[in-house]
Amino acid sequence: MPALYILIPIALILVAIAIWVFFWAVDSGQYDDLDGPAHSILFDDEDPMHKAGVDEAQTPASKDQSDA
Amino acid sequence: MCCPGCQAVAEAIVAGGLEHYYKHRSESASNPQDLPQALPDELQLFDRAEVQEPFVQHQGETSETWLLIEGINCAACGWLIEKHLRALPGVNDARLNLSNHRLNVSWIDSQVALSQLLTELRKIGYAGHPWQADEAAQKLATENRRAMRQLGLAGLLWFQVMMATMATWPEFNIDLSPELHMILRWVSLFLTTPIIFYCCGQFFRGALRDLRTRHLTMDLSVSLAIGGAYVAGIWSAITGTGELYFDAVGMFAFFLLAGRYLERRARERTAAATAQLVNLLPASCLRLNEQGQTQRILLSELRLGEQVLVQPGALMPADGCILSGQSSVDESVLTGEYLPQPRVEGDQVTAGTLNVEGPLVVEVQALGDATRLSAIVRLLERAQTDKPRLAELADQVSQWFLLFLLLAATVVGVIWWQIDPSRAFWVVLALLVATCPCALALATPTALTAATGTLHSLGVLLTRGHVLEGLNQIDTVIFDKTGTLTEGKLTLSAIHPLGALDSDACLALAAALENRSEHPIAKAFGRATQAADQVDSFPGQGLHGTIEGRQLRIGQAAFVCALSGKLAPAIPGESGQWLLLGDQQGPLAWFVLDDRLRADALELITSCKARGWHVLLLSGDSSPVVAQIARQLGIEDARGGLTPDDKLAALKVLHQQGRRVLMLGDGVNDVPVLAGADISVAMGSATDLAKTSADAVLLSNRLGSLVDAFKLARRTRRIIIENLIWAALYNSLVLPFAALGLITPLWAAVGMSISSLLVVLNALRLARH
Repeated sequence: MPALYILIPIALILVAIAIWVFFWAVDSGQYDDLDGPAHSILFDDEDPMHKAGVDEAQTPASKDQSDA
Repeated sequence: MCCPGCQAVAEAIVAGGLEHYYKHRSESASNPQDLPQALPDELQLFDRAEVQEPFVQHQGETSETWLLIEGINCAACGWLIEKHLRALPGVNDARLNLSNHRLNVSWIDSQVALSQLLTELRKIGYAGHPWQADEAAQKLATENRRAMRQLGLAGLLWFQVMMATMATWPEFNIDLSPELHMILRWVSLFLTTPIIFYCCGQFFRGALRDLRTRHLTMDLSVSLAIGGAYVAGIWSAITGTGELYFDAVGMFAFFLLAGRYLERRARERTAAATAQLVNLLPASCLRLNEQGQTQRILLSELRLGEQVLVQPGALMPADGCILSGQSSVDESVLTGEYLPQPRVEGDQVTAGTLNVEGPLVVEVQALGDATRLSAIVRLLERAQTDKPRLAELADQVSQWFLLFLLLAATVVGVIWWQIDPSRAFWVVLALLVATCPCALALATPTALTAATGTLHSLGVLLTRGHVLEGLNQIDTVIFDKTGTLTEGKLTLSAIHPLGALDSDACLALAAALENRSEHPIAKAFGRATQAADQVDSFPGQGLHGTIEGRQLRIGQAAFVCALSGKLAPAIPGESGQWLLLGDQQGPLAWFVLDDRLRADALELITSCKARGWHVLLLSGDSSPVVAQIARQLGIEDARGGLTPDDKLAALKVLHQQGRRVLMLGDGVNDVPVLAGADISVAMGSATDLAKTSADAVLLSNRLGSLVDAFKLARRTRRIIIENLIWAALYNSLVLPFAALGLITPLWAAVGMSISSLLVVLNALRLARH
């Protein structure tokens, strides 16, 4: 299992990065409000910008179907 | 739409294209008229540089501040506020934290003023207050973040440690070379070390504290297991022999921290939001100078001996003496008297009470700490220090459990020392790890967290942890009257027609007149179908107006009868406020206004009595209404005319008799008792001070929710006991195997996970209702 000699250090580095990112997220306040963001996506559905994006994504798709 | 306030809010929302708010809101909004009234010129004060200085940060052109928002009910409110503010010119960003109701807003000074933002907020039905992080709030925020970091670190590292450690277990039968075995041991040691030193510090500190106070708790046994496993792990990494328990360390740390984190979040959810809002006094007042001109100033600028003008509908800014004017003053928050008291020249008024009828000029005699209001707050602080502590079930159980465990470990250790000294240490370690009261430590917090969430959805907010367990030890309940058992506002209870017109016709005329008035009594008459013209208000006497060419008056009997020149009829009844309606021909009808019992008051009292609790009614109101209400509800022990001191004394007597007391109240005069009672519940409509000194807040104002809370408290207790029994059972089952040396790290891990999972799932049953 010589692969482990490389994989273990890689795992350690990845964990270190994950912890660093997590600490940064907590310190920048991303975990301060755990209730609000859960609801905010509901409102995005009616956002005009979001709707325009959805329409744009759907138009070529429907064209493809009609072509087929 | 129930009132012009709601209509204005709805119009502002629809005009801004924000009607999605109505689609997604999960709670109906509070009535905008219930929010504290702020005058436009009071908001303007916030534009002054010296006022802004403590709470606004300036950075070049832009300013940034935190506002505490009042009136938020659900997530849709947050969306509405953010969208509405961001759409304003000059606003860079607006972000609302739904957990603590704080709004972070930044704007460009030259384009928009802070007062404009506050006015816009008010237009959509919310009140914003400047907010400054005090020391306690800052400490809480840092602690919350640290708890989150500890939990995350423990979780991330535990998964890695588990993989590294498990690879070394013989049960998995991986053909490891001796070097790799050694490397994996060192890797797990390296990964476990941060868990011990960063995440588990609180357990070790707790254990040290408990050792000093000679008191056995869960912290001690957790520390023994974690510390033992870690030290043994170091030994085994160095020597290359022995068992590895690093994964158990990670699991303990993660599960226990998760339990504590959940508990912390459930408790502090909105407690932090209510704690900030102790504003019993108005933010500003109108000062009169020598020329008799008024100027709006901040309350902190007011000095003794100065004269202030208090408009009807405004709060008294200070204690003082009336120099001119006559009015009635609503002192219900301080005294529990449910009717506004008439006040004339020379009478004393108290800070924090509400001027109802006419403008008053008041000479300031006491300010700030010297006011009667502050005296009550000091009484509150004294009562809080005397508050008895209710014993917690888990504490008692864990003491016995731990004593038993330490004894067993010693005995097993001594016996193995005789048989095989080389194995003695490892057997004792396996015993400590396998019986580590992880499930025992999770039993209570998980149950309490689930139950707290359920209660929140029922409209009962718990602000302190001991309420659910404590409710089962209560044997006496004290109720306040005004605003608690009754609705605390005047409603129309009867109409007695005197002349040709029937009750409905009289009510229509009265409502038409009263709709033109700002007086709190006016709301009791509901919406008018007719319109009245030229309505004039005579403070202390009544209203005069014209409806379809007919002159009408409503108010005091003498005032009304002066219109027709007839003799005023005598008031036929006793309790309540009697108003006469009359025209030029003579009196038309009597209207009786009274404070109405809440619809579910009887249900609550009956349920309390069914539990065998002793029920008391303590009221500051000295009128015969107290006895009348006690009779209606079947309360035998009712006392009226009590001062806050008297109420606290009554509580002391009950405590001396060894009783466990629950207090339900709402006014400032209840605050000392709320603070001193074993468990206190404040009404959602209560004053802020009452809410912050209570252990729970009845957000819904429905007394019926309290009955549900009693039931849930029983169920919670049952679940906690079940959990404790299961945890104890598991630990005593595993003990013989551990003592015989049959437990390997694998079996210790399997057993612990299953017992912890079972406890958590059992607790989650409380989330269903």
